[in-house]
Amino acid sequence: MTARSPISISNLLPYLPVILLFAAAAPLGLSCGVLWALGAFGLAVVFLVTIRRLQSRLEEQAKSGWLLDEGLRQTQKLAAIGQLSAGVAHEINNPLAIIRQEAQWMQTLLQTDHFRGVEEVKELYDSLREIIQQVDRCKEITHNLLDFARKRQPVIQGVAVNKLIEDMAALVAKEARQKGIKIILRLAPDLPQVYADAPQLRQVILNLLNNATYAVQRNGEVTATTRLAGKDSLEIIVSDTGPGIPPEDLPRIFDPFFTTKPPGQGTGLGLSICHGIIEKLGGRITVASQVGQGTAFTIRLPLKPREGVGGGRGQG
Amino acid sequence: MDNFKVMVVDDELDFLETIIKRLKARKIEVTGAESGQKALELLAEQDYDVMVLDVKMPGMDGIETLREVKKRKPLTEVIMLTGHASVESGIQGMQLGAFDYVMKPVALDELLEKMRQAYERKLIQEGKV
Repeated sequence: MTARSPISISNLLPYLPVILLFAAAAPLGLSCGVLWALGAFGLAVVFLVTIRRLQSRLEEQAKSGWLLDEGLRQTQKLAAIGQLSAGVAHEINNPLAIIRQEAQWMQTLLQTDHFRGVEEVKELYDSLREIIQQVDRCKEITHNLLDFARKRQPVIQGVAVNKLIEDMAALVAKEARQKGIKIILRLAPDLPQVYADAPQLRQVILNLLNNATYAVQRNGEVTATTRLAGKDSLEIIVSDTGPGIPPEDLPRIFDPFFTTKPPGQGTGLGLSICHGIIEKLGGRITVASQVGQGTAFTIRLPLKPREGVGGGRGQG
Repeated sequence: MDNFKVMVVDDELDFLETIIKRLKARKIEVTGAESGQKALELLAEQDYDVMVLDVKMPGMDGIETLREVKKRKPLTEVIMLTGHASVESGIQGMQLGAFDYVMKPVALDELLEKMRQAYERKLIQEGKV
């Protein structure tokens, strides 16, 4: 493998002087709110560009046969991206906090007597508010990233899967009904308890149901099915009658930052978080889709976790 | 025997008073807080096992409170209660580490069952099971 310039925080360094320049220039003139906005925006762009570059590099490496097995490839890819993006997110949080604090300080200064009667004060104030809002948006992305990368050890306890699905379906049902989407539950009676992490499983199911209703958009069906799979596993299937996923997108569907939603509407982390959770529970999540017909996500979970998963009790 | 400590956080005082009365009738040790801010103050004084937290409150809302609780006392298990189902805040809540996200009205028995499961989780995490 040929050596390439590694993606690291140092890639961001060239941009820092620009940001600092904005910061330094801000108190000097009244029209600097715009510069501030540019600074914050620049930071966000640099951040996203870095992540995308990282992703395509990993893909290149994957293509060159660096990672062979498909399942292993996916897991290792997610782990690598997770680690690196957490590093980037962590580093970016600090400058974000400073930008936010300085902007707030400027707002405070604008309220002093010195600026009373100055015509542009309101406009400046609004600009600063916008900067703070955009910083918060960046912060949400970095928080999501850190959440994605955090190694949250599952806590294993008995979970009644059908009840869990009913609860999450009820949450989604109202919004779905307003769009003419019917949520259908086909839950196997007498399904045994599964030993898993209840809140994490809720997060996965809620994400899948939400994605499914989003895919359908209007007038269609979302179905959640549970069933036993062999003696020691169960399956949860969330399917929709949406437009389906084009075959070329299918292999990337669990990749972080892969999203087909318009900018600002999704971070593209939902499914990769789901993938991570299910893998950690010793299960598998797969997708099948037919353009024009719909998509189905299948989760296969062991009824009892393998040795070494979670710190919880054996079995009750 | 339910020997866990519960805090219920809700700005609707009628709801708060009634649920506290009903939980006490079930021999649950329960404290009420009428705002997120108040909840954090109480939490600073002592630990609670399970927190039942309303999502929509004036001032510090449930999501913001949840974020703080998980920062300060991560082992506290939080059950979010919501008047109107918002999928968006549900996803956010679960991502921030809530144990469950429940729609009002919820039957007391069902809520109690969820509290027990939340408490069981806390015990497992503390290595006490």
